Amino acid sequence: MRKTLNQVSNLLISITIALLLVVSCVSDGKKSQKTEEEKIVESVQQVDSKMVEDFNKSKLIFYSLPSPLETAMLIKRSGARYDEEILNPVDNVTNYNTNLKMALNLGIYSADLSYTSLFDQTQSAIKYMGCAKKMAEGLSILEAIDENTIKKLEDNMNNRDAVMDIISESFMNSNAYLKENDRAALSVMVLVGGWVEGLYLATTLTNGSLENNRRLIDRIIYQKLSLITVLNLLETHSENEDIIYLQNKIGELKSIFEDIKIVNTSKVNAETDAENRITTIKAESETQITKEVFNRLLNKVAEIRGEFIS
Amino acid sequence: MKVLFPSTSKCIFILFFCLTFSANTFGQCKSFAKNVGKPKLGEFIHDGNYNATELGAGETAELYKTFFKGQRYRIAISKIESLPDIHFRLINDNNDIIFDNKDHNYTDVWDFEVESTQMIIIKIKVLDDYSSLTPNTSKGCVSVLFGMKKE
Repeated sequence: MRKTLNQVSNLLISITIALLLVVSCVSDGKKSQKTEEEKIVESVQQVDSKMVEDFNKSKLIFYSLPSPLETAMLIKRSGARYDEEILNPVDNVTNYNTNLKMALNLGIYSADLSYTSLFDQTQSAIKYMGCAKKMAEGLSILEAIDENTIKKLEDNMNNRDAVMDIISESFMNSNAYLKENDRAALSVMVLVGGWVEGLYLATTLTNGSLENNRRLIDRIIYQKLSLITVLNLLETHSENEDIIYLQNKIGELKSIFEDIKIVNTSKVNAETDAENRITTIKAESETQITKEVFNRLLNKVAEIRGEFIS
Repeated sequence: MKVLFPSTSKCIFILFFCLTFSANTFGQCKSFAKNVGKPKLGEFIHDGNYNATELGAGETAELYKTFFKGQRYRIAISKIESLPDIHFRLINDNNDIIFDNKDHNYTDVWDFEVESTQMIIIKIKVLDDYSSLTPNTSKGCVSVLFGMKKE
């Protein structure tokens, strides 16, 4: 009996040690469990340091890129037309086998899905949701897009608001799943894929003209600001080989965007309407882009996007 | 043995509890953002970006976002009930304060529009509850979601 108890206790001790090791690995740099004494000392220190601003600072930085849905809305608002020919063909979906390609094309198909939905192309939207689902499955993001999502989309085909909500939720599910399962680098690849596709759709829809749709050109020029966000996002995972590849690609775009000028011509002023709970940020700016730079940008975006979908 | 066995069981129970709790808390930020944060966007459509993390009293975070001309945005900041209020400010690249929710009773929802496209930094801070004799040491989910006005 005593021997059995000893064996049981040894087993329990082993499990405990193993669990402790697992916990220490899982915590990934987070502070270990504190004793009650440590907590009391810490809380006293907090009170004592109350004059110090931002005490106990743990600064986190988020970089929020225009999502595929936002980009599609911006394209539509600029008055651009719908052109299914420029989307990543649905048949390409079987070509993507690596994590990099699946993540990039999850972003790309999400952008195409948003674009088709905003132009009320419901049958195409269902096909593109199917492509996004395949990419998500390939990345083992099981809960992001499932059969139920496709069914919900089919059931709400004629309700654009509901369709946009389904797209937004699927995108958030994929993002959140990757971020919360220590696969944040993949989530960055999805965002970059979506951003490049948005830029590709916008640049292609200009038909190479700087004059036809000035609002759309402005949308493209101001992606210079988002480009900084893309580079910062990539920098947070610069140890990853696939991210280094993307840094090089986006770096090529950066050198072209450097030749595009955005100049603030007035001071920024904010006007707050407290009753309607809205603040308007007033500022004026001017942009400059030459035809030569625009052509280089068009070609480079097409080249990078071509590589992503190949 | 009498001493060892109960303490080992207790230890394992605590470890299992901690593991389960930490896993749930981690995964809960997504559910939290979806169930608590998103409804605050009201009639605005969520852009689909997921910005949520665990913060404690006094901790800060920054979010960089480009606001595009012609698009009305709604920002909705949510936190678990046990955390103090969230103080947030919008700042431009010249460090000018564009909006401070302290002037509006620490509101957690506000709309924004820009007359020319701007990169804006949203600085958030979970308030310290220095006035309390028992400072809040808990951590919990905080989400920052953006909505866009439909056409």
